Amino acid sequence: MADALERECRIFCRLLAGREPTDYVRTKYRAAHAAGVVEPTGGASSFERGVVALARRSTLLARALDARARILAPASLLRRKLVLLLAILECAPETEADVDSVTHASRAGLFLHLVALGLGFALLFAAGFVVAPLAFVAGGSES
Amino acid sequence: MSRVTVVGSGASALHFAQSALERGHEVTMLDVGRTKPEPVRPDDGFRELKRGLDDPAAYFLGDDFSGMLWPGAPGEYYGFPPHKRVLFRGHERFVVEARGFEPLSSFARGGLAEAWTGGAFPFNDQELADWPIGYRDLEPYYGRVAERIGIGGADDDLARFLPVHAHLGAPLDLDEHSRRLLEGYARKRAAINGLGVWLGRSRTATLAADTGDRRGCTYLGRCLWGCPRDALYTPVLTLHALLRHECFRYRSGVYVTHFEADDGGRVRKVHCATEAGGREAHDVEWLALGAGTLSTARIFLESLARVAGEAPELGGLMDNRQILLPFVNLGMLARPYDPATYQYHNLALGLEAQPAKEYVHGLITTLKTALIHPIAQSVPFDLKSSIQVFRNVHAALGILNVNLHDDRRGANSVALERSGDAGRLVVHYAPSADEPARVARALKTLKRALRKLGCIAPPGMQHTRPMGASVHYAGTLPMSTERRPLTASPDCVSHDFDNLLLVDGSTFPFLPAKNLTFTLMANAARVADRVL
Repeated sequence: MADALERECRIFCRLLAGREPTDYVRTKYRAAHAAGVVEPTGGASSFERGVVALARRSTLLARALDARARILAPASLLRRKLVLLLAILECAPETEADVDSVTHASRAGLFLHLVALGLGFALLFAAGFVVAPLAFVAGGSES
Repeated sequence: MSRVTVVGSGASALHFAQSALERGHEVTMLDVGRTKPEPVRPDDGFRELKRGLDDPAAYFLGDDFSGMLWPGAPGEYYGFPPHKRVLFRGHERFVVEARGFEPLSSFARGGLAEAWTGGAFPFNDQELADWPIGYRDLEPYYGRVAERIGIGGADDDLARFLPVHAHLGAPLDLDEHSRRLLEGYARKRAAINGLGVWLGRSRTATLAADTGDRRGCTYLGRCLWGCPRDALYTPVLTLHALLRHECFRYRSGVYVTHFEADDGGRVRKVHCATEAGGREAHDVEWLALGAGTLSTARIFLESLARVAGEAPELGGLMDNRQILLPFVNLGMLARPYDPATYQYHNLALGLEAQPAKEYVHGLITTLKTALIHPIAQSVPFDLKSSIQVFRNVHAALGILNVNLHDDRRGANSVALERSGDAGRLVVHYAPSADEPARVARALKTLKRALRKLGCIAPPGMQHTRPMGASVHYAGTLPMSTERRPLTASPDCVSHDFDNLLLVDGSTFPFLPAKNLTFTLMANAARVADRVL
């Protein structure tokens, strides 16, 4: 389980910050799980655990499943884990700029980027929707 | 020289006590008086703090991650700093059951205003129309309190709503976003005024320069986590000053349960429960209740109930409805934000109304160093895309906090249900029938004004805060020129007990849309001058 959490932290950190997690980020991510605050109230379903197990296989899978979760399960376990990691990343001085600094010099460039993000999100959602049923299998093998 | 016993250590109680001491009286303050943690690394800016702390996540999110705003959890756009939670920690004896109201209370030194954002807005004559006193009665005390605590602002377009009182100091430096909004207003002033909207510098209890023992704001960007330099006034600064006064006695660790009066209607003793589980009583010459509207109501009702077996219901509870309206300033897109700026409202706006007392007040807070995870998760994309959006719009984001007035209605009540030694406070609140229409009208106009400033308010993002959230409670024992039970004189002397002063918001007969804390302090100072 520790290995799974470690891998999950690495994949999610690559996804959100584009880099490997620092020791500090790893420690805080583990600490939050050990404190029992990550699970949603009432516990996560085996499907939600399966979604997380799938997501930790690659950044692309994680992103697609998150796009699906944003619309269909915004408070699910995967979203909670990703938001937790974002919160840790923004607090740590080494990673703060990775999640909170301007990347576009012009409003025109930003506008085009937003359009691309919107289109990309639609594709990611569709991909996430298609692969999500595999979570039933992933959840089973995980347990 | 009189002996004055003051209950509570919030903004009202402390400014009443300070005035009483200045007039040569002896003051004993009774308070639960929990303490908040000392600020860490007080000279560090926001980013230096992250670098300097061994465990920055523990500071910003809490050791137990209680400062996280989780997906799907009810919350607002700012996560609440974990180390400020002590300010809102309840008390086992203070039990409240509320319907239509989400009450907050504080048993910390300095009270609820330890968590305020420093808005210091005087009420004008139109807003005081239902009060038995007018602006002329309060004006000297607004000036006196401004001199005590340090208030910055400007004599600008908002002066039509915010009277300019004595000792109004220089305002703080503007952040770039606020500066652009003010420049946009200057260009479109006529059109915006045509909507009934005026914009100007906010009035904030934050020192722009060193004054006396206090240091001015150096723009550390840590306002949301508690000003580590005390440039932003909080009542505990007054408490620290009073503790040096030879005629001031501070008894903390006690919870005032009730007072006891003689047959002639004079309060003789005040009774407390101690932290150690014991009891103590204090003889009283003058008793001033300044524990905050709900706590004062509880003490008052408990005192009546111990004599009569039951207590009446106090009607007229008020609070300001607040609506948070996020907006994006298109001119600030793809620009970096500067964390070394003041984080609370630099600007305010006023929307005129008929009648004038129904004025709508707005506070404009541009987003700088708040935690980003609460906002990024609300962007309607996957989190990676949301972060990419957020980091390019961060500097363009702002929140307009819209405040509405409230008036006394009998059905909005506070009652006491007794069971054994301790009572339970039962609060009922329902908004006025016309509130939805007033909100809709105000938001429609304010969104138009924002558009003229080059901002858009994304649809569906506005958040109506529950009643109770603004913590501007008032109105349960109102001032009245008629000597009726459960009211107070225009000088806030109870009409039920001759030597009982009600120095907090309990006596306000009407609640304008503005933050009431400045008026709480000014009125408390006025009462001390008038009565003692």
